[in-house]
Amino acid sequence: MIYIFTALYCEASVLIRRFQLVKNQQITWFQEFYNETAGIRLAVTGVGEIAAAAVVSSVCTMYGPDKGDLLLNVGICAHTTGNNGIFLCNKIVELATGKTYFPDMLCRHDFSEGTILTGMRLWNAGNTENAGSTEPGMCLWNAGDTGTAETEVQSGEAKTKKHLWNAEESGGYLYDMEAAAVYQAGIHFFGPHQMSFLKIVSDSGVLSEVSQEQTLHLMEQYQDSIADYIGKTAAIIQKNCCRKHQNREDERLIETFCTDLHCSRTMRASVEQYIRYLALSGIDYACVIQEFYDKKQLPCRDKREGKRYFDEFRRRLF
Amino acid sequence: MSFGEDYFNPFFSHIYVEKSVRNHARTQKILAKFPSAKIIEISHYKDVFCRSRQNVPLQHRSQKLILAARKGALLYEGAPVCQRFGSEHFYYCSCVMNCVYDCEYCYLKGMYPSANIVVFVNLEEIFAKVERVLQEHPLYLCVSYDTDLLAMEQLIGYVQEWCAFAENNEKLKIEIRTKCANKCLKQSAVAVPGVIYAFTLSPQAVIEAFEHHTPSLLERLSCASALLRAGCQVRLCFDPMIYVPDWQKHYAAMLEQVFATVDVDRIVDASVGTFRVSQDYLKNMRRQLPESPVIWFPFQREDGYCHYPDELMEQMETFLTKRMEQKIPREKIFRWKT
Repeated sequence: MIYIFTALYCEASVLIRRFQLVKNQQITWFQEFYNETAGIRLAVTGVGEIAAAAVVSSVCTMYGPDKGDLLLNVGICAHTTGNNGIFLCNKIVELATGKTYFPDMLCRHDFSEGTILTGMRLWNAGNTENAGSTEPGMCLWNAGDTGTAETEVQSGEAKTKKHLWNAEESGGYLYDMEAAAVYQAGIHFFGPHQMSFLKIVSDSGVLSEVSQEQTLHLMEQYQDSIADYIGKTAAIIQKNCCRKHQNREDERLIETFCTDLHCSRTMRASVEQYIRYLALSGIDYACVIQEFYDKKQLPCRDKREGKRYFDEFRRRLF
Repeated sequence: MSFGEDYFNPFFSHIYVEKSVRNHARTQKILAKFPSAKIIEISHYKDVFCRSRQNVPLQHRSQKLILAARKGALLYEGAPVCQRFGSEHFYYCSCVMNCVYDCEYCYLKGMYPSANIVVFVNLEEIFAKVERVLQEHPLYLCVSYDTDLLAMEQLIGYVQEWCAFAENNEKLKIEIRTKCANKCLKQSAVAVPGVIYAFTLSPQAVIEAFEHHTPSLLERLSCASALLRAGCQVRLCFDPMIYVPDWQKHYAAMLEQVFATVDVDRIVDASVGTFRVSQDYLKNMRRQLPESPVIWFPFQREDGYCHYPDELMEQMETFLTKRMEQKIPREKIFRWKT
């Protein structure tokens, strides 16, 4: 299953059409759309970190994603130096705490890459109070020396100790209001290799540049590349997720073998361990078990006899 | 749609660099070798290396490089499962964490939460620590335990640095453990009295099944042989021995190849030991590799370690030791004992 999270409905609508998603009417406090056949579930989180974290947690708790699933956070964002296009985020910084998060960058793609800053307020290039910044064009937070969980935003008096990161010096940053929260909630259910953050630049911090029509237009413009990325990444994750090591026939055989050996719980665990190893090694253990039945040694009389036959089974295979 | 190696980003497509070492000379030297890599600044290597829920096998398909500064302990005492080769002061250091090779049975998969490679660029601090210890007593130091330094030599050049350091410190003996068959090394190796190159050898069947991306047995032997000719000290490590069906046949064939390629009279010594690993590491390894037969063997547990059942362990080690004794003096063969 692919779990897509967008902040706004206008970011989701193109994907809803594209993947023929239908609304889940049973959920009332946020909007969810799905297509079981395509294996896609999309939720509209609302704007901001708390809303995003709450919806990601709800969806993941309800459906319990597994190792073959994928989380994708898609949406528009600002760019501090006015770059355009679609970006895959390789680093996420939560402005409120200075904490950093890193999704794995395993798969090839054609997107630009960048660092995204997640703030509590809309980025407004003309406003000197962005995310606590005291100077235009600068993001201010205490990144600390280690960047670990202990980092905290400091008060204005401690300004000299703070880490000033001049966006213009570093080629600029993406800016949104959800990515860090989606990551933090998502990491309880997904690995960093299962999470991707695709952001389309809509503005450079000038709020009047952003409109619903423009968002729809941008989503339409990049929907093919988003769909292509989803398809490839999901396939590679699913291909590499755990395969079941035993089939039902193996399980039945183990069950019968253990019962006929009169296994205790400990001995049963040992039998299972041996058979798992033998199955993974491609050794034909079923044939050896069958010989015990052919010789009428199984089912045996009691636990003691069972232990003797199990020892013989091990001797013959190693 | 093809899902071969091409689908993954190339190795070291992204390099994470700790802010504190961004301008370190070694950082600059390493980054210069990857002009198209994306450089991502980080505060601390653990922010990337120690993330939860990482998938080690998947990361091995596209490993990333992390450049950092080593803080805290710089030298460690050898673990009980390590072969000490009779040395009283046996230590190892970790100037690189993780390996470019992908051996299914490697304890690194149980020890580290990530497959990405951390290179500590402040080697001079490790050298300073070693010098301090050497003032107290001689030191036998394994510098390539949690990695394969030789396999990364062209990227980081640490073997050369360690050799130069060992040359100036008589009381220091270093071991460089490797599965590598570096052609440059074969051509340009210089013998340093305090440096032992230790080649881990396995039968070709084991290499093909479990030691992914490593050189063949013949390539390793040819490299070992070239180093011996250059006057270097070489150790052969038949450790860990790995159980496979028909193991006698495979290990006998391996030894024949060893004797045919390497002048065993000139080796420093050889070690023999069957696979063993800490119980905790094995648990992590099994979680990461649920379909690898080599780590799902029904091991015997003893004092927090897992190993082959006593009888099999004895059988395998005796088999190899006896055959080795036909060509290698008994006193040169170290057999691992708990």
